[in-house]
Amino acid sequence: MITLNNLSKIFRTELIETHALRDVNLQINEGEFAALTGPSGSGKSTLLNILGTLESFDGGDYLLDGQSVTGLSDAALSKLRNEKIGFIFQSFNLIKDFSIYDNIELPLRYRGLNADARKQRIEQALELVGLHARRDYLPGQLSGGQQQRVAIARAIAGQPRILLADEPTGNLDSLMARQVMELLEQINQQGCTILMVTHDPDQARRAGRNIQIIDGQLHDSTLYEPLAAHSA
Amino acid sequence: MEQFIYYLKVSLKGIKRAPLPYALTIFILSVGLGVFFANATFYYQLNSDPLPQKSDKLFFPMLNLVPYQCTTDCRTPRVLSYSNVQKLSQSGIPTQAAAMYSADGYLRINATQPPLPVSIRITQRDFFSLFDVPLLHGSVWPDNSARQEVILTKTSAENLFGRTDVVGEKLLLDDRHVTISAVLDSWQMLPRLYDANNHNHLSDADDIYLPLETGYDMNYLSNSQSSTFDDTDYRQLSTQGRTGALHQLQYWVQLDTAAQQQAYRQFMHNLVQDEKAAGRHPSEPNNQLIAMRDIVSYFGGESSDIKAFALVTLLFLLVCLFNASHLSLNRYLSNQYEFGLRRALGASRSQLQLQMLADVLLMALFTIGGALLTGYAGIKLMTELLPANRLFADWDLTLLIALLLLAVICSYLVTLYPSLRASFGTLNQQLKE
Repeated sequence: MITLNNLSKIFRTELIETHALRDVNLQINEGEFAALTGPSGSGKSTLLNILGTLESFDGGDYLLDGQSVTGLSDAALSKLRNEKIGFIFQSFNLIKDFSIYDNIELPLRYRGLNADARKQRIEQALELVGLHARRDYLPGQLSGGQQQRVAIARAIAGQPRILLADEPTGNLDSLMARQVMELLEQINQQGCTILMVTHDPDQARRAGRNIQIIDGQLHDSTLYEPLAAHSA
Repeated sequence: MEQFIYYLKVSLKGIKRAPLPYALTIFILSVGLGVFFANATFYYQLNSDPLPQKSDKLFFPMLNLVPYQCTTDCRTPRVLSYSNVQKLSQSGIPTQAAAMYSADGYLRINATQPPLPVSIRITQRDFFSLFDVPLLHGSVWPDNSARQEVILTKTSAENLFGRTDVVGEKLLLDDRHVTISAVLDSWQMLPRLYDANNHNHLSDADDIYLPLETGYDMNYLSNSQSSTFDDTDYRQLSTQGRTGALHQLQYWVQLDTAAQQQAYRQFMHNLVQDEKAAGRHPSEPNNQLIAMRDIVSYFGGESSDIKAFALVTLLFLLVCLFNASHLSLNRYLSNQYEFGLRRALGASRSQLQLQMLADVLLMALFTIGGALLTGYAGIKLMTELLPANRLFADWDLTLLIALLLLAVICSYLVTLYPSLRASFGTLNQQLKE
């Protein structure tokens, strides 16, 4: 699904070069739920942004679904993001004066789906996150956990192959964080690959695979048994 | 289409987020464009070609044919004497030709009525075909001979009789009987270039038309330029005006081809040489044949006020554009996060540019409304300040379309750079802002 070969990323200023990622090699298979952990500034978010094609890289190669993203045009990258990748941001990134329905509709608008197809997908996504009754609310009228569920609905409405979640529970209390994690697990069980940045070891454990980054290098790639199976 | 309506809705939401900066942007653009519109209206109308189909064929000949030795101001006289016109008329080269001058008079239907002051164009029959003057009733004089006949404008006929079909009716022109031979249809040649010599090209057309020979016979003195180069008494027009060196006639000829124009220049040259040989022309020859479209600049009749205003308003528009762009940039940069989010969710730059087009469309609509209002107010103000230009304050379709296009282009320019800045930033960075 995702293959990184010797991927590197350097941030340059006039005075210094910072190697954010060094020779990262990674393989994530379809249907995996992987957590990306590491200390602050280790390169987790940079790696996630590169995987989401929100950021470019300086060396190596990135293959998504067997296709190299190197050299793709802006239009091709946009299409790739729109059709294959769903984003969940730590701070939800909802448009405040758009209704929940309109926020979820956003990526579908750029895919050229007709109104009926968009409506069907939005309602499915709302059903999944349990917010169907609040489709006309504004984000400000929802709790943090509900807003993150809206963001998840937006991410999955386009039926992406992979979900990239950047600390999706970072701004939530433990109860809401648990609900969001359950939702992500549910989505994963439906076949969607998930890569999630997190600081929380419990969440990393629930993910099934923990990919650690320290100083821009992958140090360990731990596989856990699924939490449900483990506790059983 | 549905998608574009969506873009428009998004634009409207963007306006609602920060209505004051948006209103200020529209206000600045409207004022800049409105002031420019007002001036452009006058500039366009004053410099428009009133006879585009034939203006390149109409010429104003001038001869330095005066019976005295020029020593100081040796410019060719702008007006011709009656005898000069007669000599030029003998060439047979022009397709049409007409001499003219203007005078003032009083008109009434009978002696019991109060007299109506009128301006009289005293001219020859070809005047009407030279300048494509439309007739409503009757016909133009059959030749250039003297006749007690006048041609009225439609307005004059309505003012005097309350109707236009008055051909054959009698009138008192300065208490002398004349018959109406024709009534003109609505006609306003703007600018009235056939009278540019007297800088009258910005004023209304005359009220009535009288044959040239009759004007001389009735001793109608010119109310514009008139120069005597011998002992002719200009007040004795009927007895001395045709023979002496009294220069007061403007003369227009129609020369359809380059060959005609060349032949006419040669004719003028030969005429002056013959006169010189006969001892009637001591000065150096300096003939001029000015094309109608060059006549205003030749006579220095261009409005320097309007030109200066044009420059000032153009600069003002540029300043307004700069300021509106700056405001727009701030607005877009404050929305940069949303641009980034849309791109992250799959919008391509071209789709964002379509969003920008929707922004442009809305801005253009508001700006056009504001600019037209400001422009209209500006025109009203300028006609108060420069009443001579009041005839040139109308918007025709071509001008209106050009002004509307300008408003759209300005809206585009104001939106272009900010939206490009916003859509070409680093995605990751934009999402953090």
